[in-house]
Parts: sequence; structure tokens; C-alpha cells
Amino acid sequence: MARNIDALTAAQVSAAVAAGELSAVEVARAALAAIEAREPQVQAFLQVTPELALEAAERVDAARAAGEKLGPLAGVPVAVKDNMNLIGTRTTCASRMLENYESPYTATCVQRLLDAGCVPVGKANMDEFAFGSSTDSSAFHPTNNPWDLERVPGGSSGGSAAAVAAGMAPIALGSDTGGSIRQPAALCGVVGMKPTYGAVSRYGVVAFGSSLDQVGPFGRTVEDVALAMDALVAGGRDLYDSTAQDVAPSFAEALRAAEAGLDGKRIGLVPAFMEAEGLTGEVKQGVLAAARALEDAGAELVEVDLPHVDAAIAAYYVIGPSEAFSNLARFDGIRYGYQEPGCASLAEQSARSRAHGFGAEAKRRQMLGAYLLSSGVYDTYYYAAQKARTLITADYTAAFSQVDAILMPATPHAAFRHGEISDPTQMYLSDMYTISLNIAGNGGISVPVGLGAGTGMPMAAQLVTPAFADERLITFGAVIERALAGDGGSVLGVAPAFAGKGGELA
Amino acid sequence: MALTEDDVRGIADYARIALEGEELAEMTSYLNDAVAMLEPVLAYNLPDVEPTFHPIGDLSNVMRADAIEPVRDLARDAALGNAGSAREEYFRVPSILGGE
Repeated sequence: MARNIDALTAAQVSAAVAAGELSAVEVARAALAAIEAREPQVQAFLQVTPELALEAAERVDAARAAGEKLGPLAGVPVAVKDNMNLIGTRTTCASRMLENYESPYTATCVQRLLDAGCVPVGKANMDEFAFGSSTDSSAFHPTNNPWDLERVPGGSSGGSAAAVAAGMAPIALGSDTGGSIRQPAALCGVVGMKPTYGAVSRYGVVAFGSSLDQVGPFGRTVEDVALAMDALVAGGRDLYDSTAQDVAPSFAEALRAAEAGLDGKRIGLVPAFMEAEGLTGEVKQGVLAAARALEDAGAELVEVDLPHVDAAIAAYYVIGPSEAFSNLARFDGIRYGYQEPGCASLAEQSARSRAHGFGAEAKRRQMLGAYLLSSGVYDTYYYAAQKARTLITADYTAAFSQVDAILMPATPHAAFRHGEISDPTQMYLSDMYTISLNIAGNGGISVPVGLGAGTGMPMAAQLVTPAFADERLITFGAVIERALAGDGGSVLGVAPAFAGKGGELA
Repeated sequence: MALTEDDVRGIADYARIALEGEELAEMTSYLNDAVAMLEPVLAYNLPDVEPTFHPIGDLSNVMRADAIEPVRDLARDAALGNAGSAREEYFRVPSILGGE
């Protein structure tokens, strides 16, 4: 029986391509066929790139034919969030503002995956300029959750998560400013990792919150996320991003560490998080299943406290919009972006270009940032938020003096229906478990734990580790995955409605 | 004190986002809700706590060598290619001070 591309992990694809069992072109064609069959219902992409995919695949096959050493992700299809530049594609940030923006260069994170042998299949949908938790604020179209098309995939990297969950690509890149990798990963039943701030270069990624943004990978298995992380950091510190740090490519190694068990490791649980208002019973059960898996592997569960974390949402919605207002000031309609015709002055052209180019949420966030940074208001809110950041960071430091990692929910509830949360300030609360990491800067991973008893939708647990100890996310995540999925497999796999639909390998 | 539509018109002018009519009213309502949601952070304006502006605390003034980097230089065509309006080798803008 013919195999389907969606039955293979990135690790299996690259191994098969390296062994000559599959050609990269064959894999690329299968991935493009899977996209053609599944995309009409999922709508995960803003642009599908068959030419770029086949060119990259041909390069991999030519390198193999010439006897060259292949990259660790040779022939692996990847979806790229549409806020990342890739030459030969538009980078729209899902905004009318950048509808016709042609990438003038390629982002470092994308280039590193290409250098590792990845094949780019398309640019993934997102909330406009990454402002949102549902992908419904894309100016072009919403994305549907592959597990239930009536529901959102989460956001802002919703297209990336949905593409992986629907089996259209084994891995994808996203960016996470307040939970935008971990929340959609949780809602779509895939693995999503936000490494520590500074671990992955942001050069060529359209900026939202400069002290918060971080790039990271999605995959259906922890192993695939580990391989993508190794590829993202293997080139060393990127001189084009002044915040980028040197990180050792030790993620695949960290995966193997999971086999040794967790004797002597301590995992923290935060009682206030597990009893929080708004946390559904099914999510709580999922997190407790992950806790049992860690305990069964030999870890000790310990209660820890993060006393100031209640301030995280308020602090985030001061810092995030302030930084967004500053970053998005560059969209003045002159050098790039939508330009309103027929204006008499530059000021009028800027104000009208921005009014017509930006969607509702992008305007809201910038208006909030403009207010918060205005004279007289700045001292009150901005300083208070940055002081809250000091205390939240100190909370994590204190907790990590007692434990190796903290286990918590990734989201309070399963994927919600399109339009179910219409009040923007209510939407902000869906980030309650993810946001404090962006404020403190340390890394987190969302790992699927099964389907909820109530909704039948994917459930997830989030692991959190100290800054620049991201390899632990892989080790502990792999332990949870192995306990709940069996050896080598993913916990939930491809969403059943799409598994095997198009994308057969010859 | 709640923000009025006049306040919000002033912010929109400063933010260079032309808002009119209903959009101005909706934005006023949103900003008042959002600012109310931020209220808890005010409790953290503590005199004995230093602010943290950046997750990598000791990072400052990262410099590179003062050398030309041809790889990073955008070709003129690429730089102008995304502009709404360009003439020859320049970006084209309306009058900066207004008027003729």
C-alpha cells in the first residue's frame, strides 16, 4: 500500500531521503498534493510555493547524486509564518498594509532551515501582524482548526499549527510574542516551542514586540521540534540580530536523555494555575496526565509559587502595545506598504495609508500603545509594567532554585468557535498561561496530551524551564510524549479528517 | 478618568491613523476597556523595585565592525521595488509641509 507523506515525521523524511528511499522531489510533490487536497477546508496558507519547493527539492536530490553530505532536514517540507521574509514570496503579515510586499531578502531563521535541507511549501496564515489568538484577524481569510473546522486554530501562528496538524507539512516556523506558538500548538494538537528570548535570530522577521518576540518551531513530534531547533541554532550567533545569543545545537541529544528517565529531577506545579478561574476540567485532566507521566519516569512533583504572575497580562498589554506602536510606526506608506493615493501632504498620506492599510486589531493595539507612551501616562503604566517584569522574572528564578522545570496548562480551554470571543479584551485572557514567559524571557513548550473528554478537541500541557535551558523542554516533553503516545509516535498525529487525503508517495 | 472622543482624536493624530465617525466611537470604547484591564499593573509602581526593560538585562550597544557588508546591502531596485511611489532612484512623497 502506498504511504502518505503525512504518515512520516521530519526525522523519517530526512532519513529516507538520505538513504535514497525517497527523492526530495517525490516528497515535495506529495506535500504539494496534500496541500491541494486539504487546503480548501483548512485555509492554512496565504501563499503556496510549488516552484520554490521543487527548486529546493531538486537541489537536495542533486547534492545527493553528487555524493555531497545532506543537511539534517534534507527534503523536509516546511511551512513558514507570513511575517518571515523569504525571497521569492510576499511577506504580508496577513495585512492589507503589506498585501503586495515582496520579500527583499530571506530571514535568518528561514535560511537556516533551507541550509539544513528544508523545502519551503508556503507562507502560513496568521493574525494580522501577529495581534491575536485565533488567526481570525487575518485580513485575507480565517484558518480552520483541522480537528473541527468550526473552531479556530488559535493564533497568532494559527496557519503554521494548522498546516502541521492537517499533515500538509511535518514542521513549520512560528513566532511567539505572548503565546503565539504555544497556544495554537495546544489548540491544534501539535508540539510548539518558544525558545528562550535570544536563542533564535529574528533578523528578517517583522517585529511586533522587540523585548518579547521569539521564533520557534512546530512539529507533530518532540523529535521533529528538536531537529528544527538544532538547525535554527547550528549556525551560531547571528550577527544581524543584536539580541541573538550563542546556543549549542544539543536538542537532539536532549531527546536521547529522555531515555534515561527522570530520577532525581523535580517538576514544579503551580497550585494557583491549576485552580484558576476559567481553566476547564478537561484541560486540567490533561495536565495531570502529563504530571503522572513525568512522575512515572522518576521525577518528583513539587508545588511552587509564582506570586506576581497575576500581573503578567496587564504588564504584557502595556509592554506589547507600546513596542508594537513603536515598531509599526515604520509603516508610513512611503518605502513599502499600502500608499493612499491623492493626498496633499505627507502627514495626510501617512494617516490615511495607515487607516486603510491596518485592520481593526492592528489599529487598536497601536492606539493603545500610543496612549500608553504619551506624556504623563508613560510614567504611570510603562514603568509599572517594567517593574512587574522584574518581579515576575524573580519569581521564576526563585521557583527554578527548587525545580528543574514547571508544568502548567498552555491554554485555559480547548479551541473556541470562530466568532465565539468577540470582545478583544476577553480574547487577551486566552494568553493567561503563556504570557509570563515572554515577559521573563525563558522558554516553554506545548505538548499534546490527548483529546478532551468534553469537547473531543486536542488538549496540551506546557513545560517551562529557566532561560537558556531549553534542551530540558525537549527531554521532559519527550517523556510526556512517550508515555502518552508510545515509542516514537506522536500523541495525536494528523487530524483524522485529513489523514491520508491527497499526498500519497509513489 | 475616562478617555473622551476628543482625547482619542488627539491620540489618533499622534499615531498617524486617520479615524472618523463610528470608528472613533468604537476606539474610544475599546481604549477605556483596555485601560481598565491594565489597572492591576499600577499596584507595581513600587519605589524599591528597579524596572527591567529587556529580558537580557546586561545587553547594551551591541556593535559590529564598521565595514561594508555587500551581502546585506539591498540593491536599489529591491529597495525601491516595494515603494508605493518612486521616480528614478528616489522614493516619492507629497509635500512635507503641506500646501503647494
